[in-house]
Amino acid sequence: MNTYKALIALDVKLALRQKSVLFFNYLFPLVFFFVFAQAFHAERGAGMTVVIAMVMIIGILGNGLFGAGMRAVQEREANILRRYKVTPISPAPLLIASTVTGWLIFMPYVFVMFGLAHFLYGMPWPKSMGSILIFVTVGIAGFRAIGLILAAVANSMQESQILIQLVYLPMLFLSGATFPLAMFPPWLLVITQFLPATYLVTGVEAMLMRDEGIVANMQPAAALLLTMVVGLFIAYKLFRWEKEEKIRNSAKLWLAVVLTPFLCLGLWQMHTKSNTEKTKILQRQLSRSDTFLIRSARIVVGDGAVIENGAVLVRGGKVAEVYEGNGPDPKAVNAEAVKPRERRSFPA
Amino acid sequence: MPSNRVAISVQDLKKSYGDVHAVKGIDFEIQTGEVFGLLGPNGAGKTTTVEILEGLRPRSSGQVAVLGFDPDKQRQSLKDRIGVCLQATNLPEKIRVREALQVFSSFYSRHADLNQLLRRLQLEEKREAFYGTLSGGQKQRLALALALVNDPQLIFLDEPTTGLDPQVRVEIHSLLEELKQEHRTILMTTHYIEEAERLCDRVAIVDEGKIIALDTPSRLQQQSRNASSIVVTCTKPLPANRPAWAEVTQSALDSTGRTLTVHSRRPAATLVDLVKWIDQQGLELTDVHLKQPTLEDVFIELTGKSLRE
Repeated sequence: MNTYKALIALDVKLALRQKSVLFFNYLFPLVFFFVFAQAFHAERGAGMTVVIAMVMIIGILGNGLFGAGMRAVQEREANILRRYKVTPISPAPLLIASTVTGWLIFMPYVFVMFGLAHFLYGMPWPKSMGSILIFVTVGIAGFRAIGLILAAVANSMQESQILIQLVYLPMLFLSGATFPLAMFPPWLLVITQFLPATYLVTGVEAMLMRDEGIVANMQPAAALLLTMVVGLFIAYKLFRWEKEEKIRNSAKLWLAVVLTPFLCLGLWQMHTKSNTEKTKILQRQLSRSDTFLIRSARIVVGDGAVIENGAVLVRGGKVAEVYEGNGPDPKAVNAEAVKPRERRSFPA
Repeated sequence: MPSNRVAISVQDLKKSYGDVHAVKGIDFEIQTGEVFGLLGPNGAGKTTTVEILEGLRPRSSGQVAVLGFDPDKQRQSLKDRIGVCLQATNLPEKIRVREALQVFSSFYSRHADLNQLLRRLQLEEKREAFYGTLSGGQKQRLALALALVNDPQLIFLDEPTTGLDPQVRVEIHSLLEELKQEHRTILMTTHYIEEAERLCDRVAIVDEGKIIALDTPSRLQQQSRNASSIVVTCTKPLPANRPAWAEVTQSALDSTGRTLTVHSRRPAATLVDLVKWIDQQGLELTDVHLKQPTLEDVFIELTGKSLRE
């Protein structure tokens, strides 16, 4: 146990001393956070929930694939693992320490993001915070394991970079982490259901937007957990301490084995389409959640009074406020000003 | 079955990589408390042999026992008991000296006093320094400290001073002498003859996967067919005609005619004859030098190669 504790403590210290780790784990996703917040009008409605889901998954991808994968190859190439080889430890503490360290480094970022969302953009604290943290934890564990498998089957730094990019880029662009899934044609949506990152995006969005718990997302959570277990086991079996120990190219197929739970989930989704449906529901809910200020409207108020030229503030699909005249400055109420093409009556 | 006094026992050890036979059947025993050197050029099979004994590589055939353990079958137990200083290893640039010792110490069931170890390896002032900021000598001292964190009775040193400047090499030699005085068993490989001569109780000369000589450094020197040489220099040129001294195998004058080199099987007797002859010639001696054959001479004689090949 001392070995595990010592290695985890060391890994965390080393990670925090690396500028690249700080950049890719904190600064880089934070840049995306503010850019997406701007693009999705996060101050209005549920846009921030989408931003958080996207940025969180970008962070998990970087943490798992680059943090675990690249570092393991670097240590092998630099003859650091060779030093560990002469000690009585097996690869297990090194692999477990890497996984736990990834989680320890990432979790503060999750809280920072929720804090920014709450204090800067007025997002309420999520009701299913516990489920979100569990889901993010299995997400990191699953992606760290994928990273460690990539390191285990790569024979050089160059090869690892190619392999990591081959996994990273489709997950980054096709999972909804950078482009919303609503933009995708139906055939591409089918492909996205084979990517672990897609389930992370929809899972976190559903937990934030619809207060879903971990039970409602049991399938992807179980698949990620299975990925972690299978990934760590194969990474242990294929572990190499020295750069001179090369692995045959066919060993790269082990990556497919690790991703088998998601291959099964993708095939299952081709049949049930439940996750695609969930994506559509979330998209509808997102559109409804926007805040509008409808101006130049004829408003019939519930008590029978009529405002001939008024404004209605709609928040989360419900009338929040009725004004005479043009109403407040839209920016002051975080709303988009809408002018109907023809004058209509609004019951309010 | 090796006795308790035997720390390492190797019988007919062979190791092949496909068609390449790196170790072709070697035998030796190392007694507890002995410093044993493996000497040989690059590719001779030294490192492969040592790595088999450390449990890092499986052997192809032969019998091996290290502290009573079979390195192929009881790898973890063996690694827990030995200390190893490898060639060409590294640590992360941003690890502190103290942290490296603490984390490596956590891997073992026995622990040395880390503060004492830092003092002994003259790393006390550098305890908070990052590995990346250490000099080559300091890195090597840290590598030795890491090999001692479990207070091992058997230590493997694979070329512990290669690439270090002479000053640092001397410092490392002093430390190894201290370890020797503590009756720890040491198996070391080296390129440096003076290192083997100074530190090793016995030396095995390895070439092309085989041990071609094994004895104490002094006996190996004595066994050498190469005779000792006496070099004398006079104020004026020596005569070209020289008497046929007993036991002299060869003699030659340099281009100035003032320096004479004489090879002899009995250098002490020859030196007396030589000084008498010079006196009879009415010449005055300015320098006399008696040179014993070195391990390097023995090595060259046995293998026909230089050690640094």
